[in-house]
Amino acid sequence: MAATALKEQLNGLVNSMFAEGLLDEQFQQLQMLQDGSNPGFVAEVVTLFCEDSERILTELTKLMDQALVDYSKVDAYVHQLKGSSSSVGAQNVKLACIQFRQFCEENNKEGCVRALNVVKHEYYRLRSKFETMLQLESRIQAYENKQQN
Amino acid sequence: MAEGAHQTSSAMTRPSAMLFKKLHTFINWRENRTSALPQRRITHEEAEEEEFSYQTTGCLSSYYSIFVARLAIMVMLAILIGMLTILTWHFTRVYTTKSINSLAYGLRYEILQRPILRMWNILNSTVELTMAQVKLSEYVIGSYDKPSAQEQVELHQMMRDVTWALFSSRRALDAITISYRNGFVQAFHRDRLSNSTFYIYSELVSEGEAQGGHLHQSRDKNASAIWYRERLNPVTGEKEGDRRQIPPDDLINIAGLPEVQDGAASWHVAVCKYSDSPLLSAALPVRHPNGGSIVAAVGVTTAFKGVAQLMKELVDFHSGYMYLTSLEGYVLATSTDTPLLRNTTTGRKLMLATDLEDHIPRAGAEWLQRAYGNKFPINHEVHAQNVLLGNQRYYIDSFFLNLKRLPLVGVIIIPRKYIMGKVDHIGFTTLVIMISASISILAIGCVCILILTSGVSKAMKLKAQLISHLDARRKAEASSNYKSQFLANMSHELRTPMAAVIGLLDILIYDNCLTNEQFATLTQIRKCSTALLRLLNNILDLSKVESGKLVLEEAEFDLGRELEGLVDMFSVQCIDLNVETILDLSDDMPKVVRGDSARIVQIFTNLISNSIKFTSEGHIILRGWCESSNRTTLPEGSKDQKMSQCTPRNKLKQNESILKKEYQKNDRITLWFEVEDTGCGIDPSKWESVFESFEQADPSTTRTHGGTGLGLCIVRNLVNKMGGEIKVVKKDGQGTLMQLYLVLGMPEDGTVNGFQAEFCRYSFKVLLALHGRQSRFIMSQWLREKGVFTWETSEWNGLTQILQQIFQENMECSTSESLNMSRMRVAPRETNLDKMGGSDILIVVDIALLDQSTNIWNQQLIFLEQYRGKAKFAWMLSHDTSNAIKVELQRRGHFLTISKPLYKTKMIHILDAVVNEVNFKNQTSRNLLNSTMDEDFHDSHELDSIHFDAISSDDSNTSDLDKQDSKIHTFSSEEERIERIPESHQPHSSSRKMSTQRVSMDKIIKNPNILLAMGNSLNMSEDFVETDKRGNKSKDYASWYEHKDIEKNIISSVDDELQDIKSHSAVGNKDAFLKLNQLHNEGESMIEQEYQWNAKPILYDQGETKQKMTAKINVASSGNTHVEGMEKQLSIERSTELTCRNSRLLKSQDMHYSVHKGDCVASNTIVPDQNPLGGLHILLAEDNPILQRVATAMLEKKGAKVVAVGDGMQAVDAIKCMLCAEESKRQNSTHQDGVAGLSELQKYPSFDLVLMDCQMPKLDGYEATKAIRNLEAGTSLHIPIIAVTAHAMSSDEAKCLDVGMDAYLTKPIDSNLMVSTVLSLTQRDV
Repeated sequence: MAATALKEQLNGLVNSMFAEGLLDEQFQQLQMLQDGSNPGFVAEVVTLFCEDSERILTELTKLMDQALVDYSKVDAYVHQLKGSSSSVGAQNVKLACIQFRQFCEENNKEGCVRALNVVKHEYYRLRSKFETMLQLESRIQAYENKQQN
Repeated sequence: MAEGAHQTSSAMTRPSAMLFKKLHTFINWRENRTSALPQRRITHEEAEEEEFSYQTTGCLSSYYSIFVARLAIMVMLAILIGMLTILTWHFTRVYTTKSINSLAYGLRYEILQRPILRMWNILNSTVELTMAQVKLSEYVIGSYDKPSAQEQVELHQMMRDVTWALFSSRRALDAITISYRNGFVQAFHRDRLSNSTFYIYSELVSEGEAQGGHLHQSRDKNASAIWYRERLNPVTGEKEGDRRQIPPDDLINIAGLPEVQDGAASWHVAVCKYSDSPLLSAALPVRHPNGGSIVAAVGVTTAFKGVAQLMKELVDFHSGYMYLTSLEGYVLATSTDTPLLRNTTTGRKLMLATDLEDHIPRAGAEWLQRAYGNKFPINHEVHAQNVLLGNQRYYIDSFFLNLKRLPLVGVIIIPRKYIMGKVDHIGFTTLVIMISASISILAIGCVCILILTSGVSKAMKLKAQLISHLDARRKAEASSNYKSQFLANMSHELRTPMAAVIGLLDILIYDNCLTNEQFATLTQIRKCSTALLRLLNNILDLSKVESGKLVLEEAEFDLGRELEGLVDMFSVQCIDLNVETILDLSDDMPKVVRGDSARIVQIFTNLISNSIKFTSEGHIILRGWCESSNRTTLPEGSKDQKMSQCTPRNKLKQNESILKKEYQKNDRITLWFEVEDTGCGIDPSKWESVFESFEQADPSTTRTHGGTGLGLCIVRNLVNKMGGEIKVVKKDGQGTLMQLYLVLGMPEDGTVNGFQAEFCRYSFKVLLALHGRQSRFIMSQWLREKGVFTWETSEWNGLTQILQQIFQENMECSTSESLNMSRMRVAPRETNLDKMGGSDILIVVDIALLDQSTNIWNQQLIFLEQYRGKAKFAWMLSHDTSNAIKVELQRRGHFLTISKPLYKTKMIHILDAVVNEVNFKNQTSRNLLNSTMDEDFHDSHELDSIHFDAISSDDSNTSDLDKQDSKIHTFSSEEERIERIPESHQPHSSSRKMSTQRVSMDKIIKNPNILLAMGNSLNMSEDFVETDKRGNKSKDYASWYEHKDIEKNIISSVDDELQDIKSHSAVGNKDAFLKLNQLHNEGESMIEQEYQWNAKPILYDQGETKQKMTAKINVASSGNTHVEGMEKQLSIERSTELTCRNSRLLKSQDMHYSVHKGDCVASNTIVPDQNPLGGLHILLAEDNPILQRVATAMLEKKGAKVVAVGDGMQAVDAIKCMLCAEESKRQNSTHQDGVAGLSELQKYPSFDLVLMDCQMPKLDGYEATKAIRNLEAGTSLHIPIIAVTAHAMSSDEAKCLDVGMDAYLTKPIDSNLMVSTVLSLTQRDV
């Protein structure tokens, strides 16, 4: 019973994330890829995404703090982040990244800093949701295991 | 631009800036007008346009500039006129004033000088008189020295006479007095008031008193002194009256001795009660001639009256006022009649000028007093102008006359009007006239300017409008450009969600647990999404073409197949609309051309869908022919045929054929197409404009037909891009005829035309029982042209009639062949064929001929059943044919079915199939026949579905298939050749059977290819990967089948054996290939294996003649040699693929057999495959862990085995190892040295495909691909590489393809697209 409630909660959360535009259809594809043979796939990918994004964001912050910004490096990182976010379906982060890259191409430092903040903001917003989601999933997993036992 | 905007925004706050701007624009405009060079004007206009473009309204600004221009001109005019006026006025006024002023000064001076001179005269005369009196007195007194009393009287008398004489000679004198030392006084006095003259003398009272000296003293002291006055005749001096005593008060002033004490003359102004004016009295002493002592004092008094008189006269003449004052300010004379004295208690006193009764002089005096007070300038000279006294302006001048003891000041007050009045008046008048004149000139000037500039302002208005229009147009263009840019840039963003939607729908549709309604809904959604995507693509294409980003591909593709697919697709729509869709491609069309198949399909899709939209009934014909120079050398007959079909086209073609020849020189070919419909047609006036964007022939149709009007625009753009032209051509009858030509490339190898089929093989008469008139007509025309006899009918009754007719004849025919021969002379070839195999009748029946609304169709089928043995039936199904009919047809053994519409390729297919069937029939092997027919049934179905998919133009796939087909054709023809040799020696049966066998094999071989292309391939691959099993299985199948054959070997064992051999050889082939590829199966050599396999059937077949054995061996060896040849030619991958196919073929064969037998060995339904990528080994090179994970999951879900690497370097390494393994494997396969390669092979499975991310660390996708291609360079290998990139631009795609990648996927990865791409690549080389 509790498991179904938790599942509903999870679904609600995911749906709200879709509704808010945090996620797009790519995430649905991810969900579809998760099946019996591949349990915890979403969690795995999301965790990967979070780790990767945090690393990139740290790098980006470092780069942007420098007096002379190496825009090509920044661009490369942002491109990476955009790739990973688009494959996870983190729509907002992706859009922010697109914006970021534009500023990057213009070598607009102010814009870049602003865009970085936007990206960070979107990312942290997403991460908190993801964390909740992962927790819910792990609890569901735990329940199911218990029931099986 | 920003500046302009800024100016506009700040213009409101800064009017000055605005004004400046206006002036600037005005100047600009002026420059433009005056500019003689048109070139320069244009640039100016552009500049101006720039300037105008971001102002709020260009029109308003031009108004402003006009307004300002006028204002400026007017102001300048006003200033000019004003200056002229002022200058004129100034010169006239100032110089006049100056000269008049100087004159006036002189005048005033002169005027004043005269009374002063008079005064001076008076003084002088007084003095002279006094002196004369004194001299006379001295003389008289001198003559009486020490007189006695008598003498004294005489003296006095004498003195009286002398004095009288003097007095009477001077009428101006007031009085002369002589007072003696003794106190005696003699005086003459004129009383002006009474105009009488008196003599006044005093009587000496006493000596003592007389000796008292001073007259005054005595007078004062001796009030009792007696004074007498005698009236005298003023002329003669005679006494007229008595002496009268007078009181001392009435005395006049008498100068006494004390006044002349110092001996000098004394002056003073005196007042007398007998006179209104002040008097001037002078006194001189009379000295004794001897002693010099003073004996008497003479006093002379003169009135100032004369001066006043003079002044009055002067003033009367000149106007104004004058007065003279003493230095102390007492008035001595004025030009007026006012009294100058005042009465006080002490007698009359002199008045100050400021006390004058007369107004103006007093005011003048007061002014002087105010202005100078007591501090007069030296000489008391004052010249003041414009002194306001009362209400008038006056000149005030004062002069100083410094007389000893009596300094005088003269003041003249002249009204300014008197001197300057005229001048002022004239000046004022001049000013008024000039001002009025200038105002009127100004007004006229302004009017003139208005009139003159009104023309200019009109021009300006027009200009402003023009500019605003230009501006608007520019903006519109810009926005359109922005739109195109935006759309082009957004292509990725727009397509991705659509791809996702469609992909997800696909996933959902493949979901097994859907209700029918859900499935239907989903299908509908899928269709709608596809339509939406197409619309999006349309818009994007248009914007792409417009923004010049469209790059046409140049790839080989089968044009005919594309168009057939297209027609197939549209026929579905058209059947609903009761419209025929007909494809009529001429036989000279090249089968394979180079070009952008997707775009060509798009052109025709748009054209046909456009036609469908407007065609409610009738037909739509897509004609195509090749524009070639050898057209003119065509056989006369066929040319006539063509001519009769479409005369206008031919004419046109001939006209332009000369022009087109040029294109053919460099491997280009001009293909002409026509799309004809019987719709509502297009008005000739719209023939050009329909190709504009958003233009429809009749706007009202938008409501009924929908559409955006983009389709034809895209078509024209694309056609133009392909070096062609499109136009609407006049058509006989209703409807539209669009004609276009495209210039496409010819394939380098110059493949033969596609329609050169061997019609000699078809020994048929064809009965076309088709519903559509046009298509039937075209088909029969074509068939006749090819020498095939045809009948036509369009309804059931006609069909039955013809059938009855034919078969009656046929009966006769069978009895008397000669008769038949003569009848069939229509087609000369047919007679030959008749000889060969007897004439067969093919009946192509449109399912629509059956009465489907009721159950009569069943009876109709039963009716047809009687002709079953005599003729071959081919059924044309439409997409909505009910399942019941299909099942019934199948039940009755009508397997030869095709979908509508019928076109040449399909006809050839049918004929092929029928030929095969007839041959099978000759063999009387029902099993085989059934299976073949079953295959055919599938074949036709699959064929159709391929075309439905082929709308998206998977051209590589289809062309691959074609290659495959052609290969098989060559293969079969090889066999044919082999078989023909025995044919000549053998009796009829063997060779015929052989050929039949071959054809059926062809069919079967072809079939799985198509299946595979569809992606609906049977799920067999996994089984084949597991090689151990497979080998055994195939063995099993083979042996099992053979056993069965032996059992069945009643009617004709020879045929069966041949069949066995064939199938065995096929199995052998397959196994050989498998051995070749997967070496870990067995260590035996391929050839050995083959022989082994070939030997086996030999063991089984025991009851055969030697001849047949040799034939078998021939066949087998030919198969083997073919395998050998293939091995040499093809790469390892290719052979693997072929192996797969062969195995599938085997499997399907098995399947069909088993189905037929009812054994149910394997249940194969046409269910969407869950593992379309089964058995594929894919190398995924992706640095992004997330994408790596996702892509891996996707691929694995589709059944592929994935090896993921993190960067390009690793990918290259992996491929390197794989290549090594392949190499060693191949060596192993030839040298039977399998142990060494085994481990490596297991370590690195042979990859079928590489998915390559473009941006990776260490080595990016492009470099990695280059490296891999370099590795491959030595070998014949080619691993398909698919680029995966986040860039969605065509340039990126081009870059990817440049470095040697085979396809291109965009992130995020769409699983369906990926699968289809992967499939298309893994099959292409087979």
